[in-house]
Amino acid sequence: MTELAIKISARNVDVFYGATHAIKSVNVEIADKMVTSFIGPSGCGKSTFLRCINRMNDTIDVCRVTGDILIDAEDIYDRRVDPVQLRAKVGMVFQKPNPFPKSIYDNVAYGPKIHGMARNKSELDEIVENSLRRAALWDEAKDRLQEPGTGLSGGQQQRLCIARAVATEPEVLLMDEPCSALDPIATAQIEQLIDELRSSYSVVIVTHSMAQASRVSDRTAFFHLGELVEYGDTSHIFTNPSDKRTESYITGRIG
Amino acid sequence: MQEQHISTAFDRDLEAIQSNIMKMGGLVEAAMTDSARALNDRDVKLAERVRADDKKIDALEMLINEDCARLIALRAPMASDLRAVLSVMKIAGALERVGDYAKNLAKRTALLIGSAKIEGLEGSLLRMIKEVEAMLGDVLNAYVARDTNLAEAVRLRDHTVDQMYNGLFREILTHMMEDPRNISTCMHLHFIAKNVERMGDHVTNIAEQVIYAVSGELPEDARPKGILAVADDL
Repeated sequence: MTELAIKISARNVDVFYGATHAIKSVNVEIADKMVTSFIGPSGCGKSTFLRCINRMNDTIDVCRVTGDILIDAEDIYDRRVDPVQLRAKVGMVFQKPNPFPKSIYDNVAYGPKIHGMARNKSELDEIVENSLRRAALWDEAKDRLQEPGTGLSGGQQQRLCIARAVATEPEVLLMDEPCSALDPIATAQIEQLIDELRSSYSVVIVTHSMAQASRVSDRTAFFHLGELVEYGDTSHIFTNPSDKRTESYITGRIG
Repeated sequence: MQEQHISTAFDRDLEAIQSNIMKMGGLVEAAMTDSARALNDRDVKLAERVRADDKKIDALEMLINEDCARLIALRAPMASDLRAVLSVMKIAGALERVGDYAKNLAKRTALLIGSAKIEGLEGSLLRMIKEVEAMLGDVLNAYVARDTNLAEAVRLRDHTVDQMYNGLFREILTHMMEDPRNISTCMHLHFIAKNVERMGDHVTNIAEQVIYAVSGELPEDARPKGILAVADDL
């Protein structure tokens, strides 16, 4: 792998759900301005690990995270770090599009408003427009900004969620199976969008579709039974993986 | 192949393609042996059969390419499966070329009927054909056994074939200068020698594909190139 600016770095990260050891001593460095995908069978810990990066696991009582996760060399689990501020910096898009039951405009404006990013209405308008443009939704939504976000199609809703995530000017964008509820055309649009977002953010995507991982990501990490088995350039992982378990998984020999 | 896929149909498809490659390899080996014997015995009938049988080789190549295209489209093979499919397509292409050269050898045999044999020269030529034939046999064995060491050994033997060709080139030149009546025969023999040298190159390519399919890496170091020596002389 070529050396690049590191955005996120995890050191000896372990995650426990009660007595279950979900993530086992994961060490990984995720590059800036690149797309990194996490693949692996269900229950391998890829989503759990993704959720550690914006401290979503804090909301689960029995969940315990040990080790260090650093963003720009700063420990995000430090007591002085406010999880709400962190999540503005680390945006997240989920499997099922989940727009707020509000207008398209308010969905995007919500984050910038609570973080005080706009001083007046025209600044807020600008943020909303820019975010919708970056999510490739502006042309479809500009004439119906006051309509409810839930009235959009599934693919549009997911792009609205991406617009909402980028509205707070994040540096990292986490995506947990962002296309699994979408049809192939909407999937292709989201993938095209991920390709464009790469220039501004460090994008981390969890996907069950290996074809998607190979299409969109520069680097791929393979998780199995809570371990990070292999991490490397996507083209290498999909043509000549080093670990036997990676090989077995991507060629369809283990589930 | 290694352990089985979750989808057994995938294994079945891969195995079918691999067994067609072996069938094709067997036909190409037979074409080489027969065309060499036809040349040695000036056996027009045998030469004719080699030419006719080349159609079977071509048909198998097409079948393999179609099967590979279908497998890529329907199964999206990855990693070692992907390499297996890619290498199979290249190996089929290389075998088809070797088959064509054997056909050409058979064609020239028909043209050599009636002309006097140039004993020493044809002996050297047959030795060269035997060497390439042995390389082909070994590389097919290396493919079945996924044996990269054997494939690498075949790859390095191409140097010997190149040197044999260089020697033949000089011999042919000498015969033509000695007696201009030999020129027509010598021209044919030279084309045959050149074609056998090319067969060696294709067998070498197959060896490289075997290494790629098994290890995921193509050999990096350049092979010793003996053939350039002749070009320098011209």
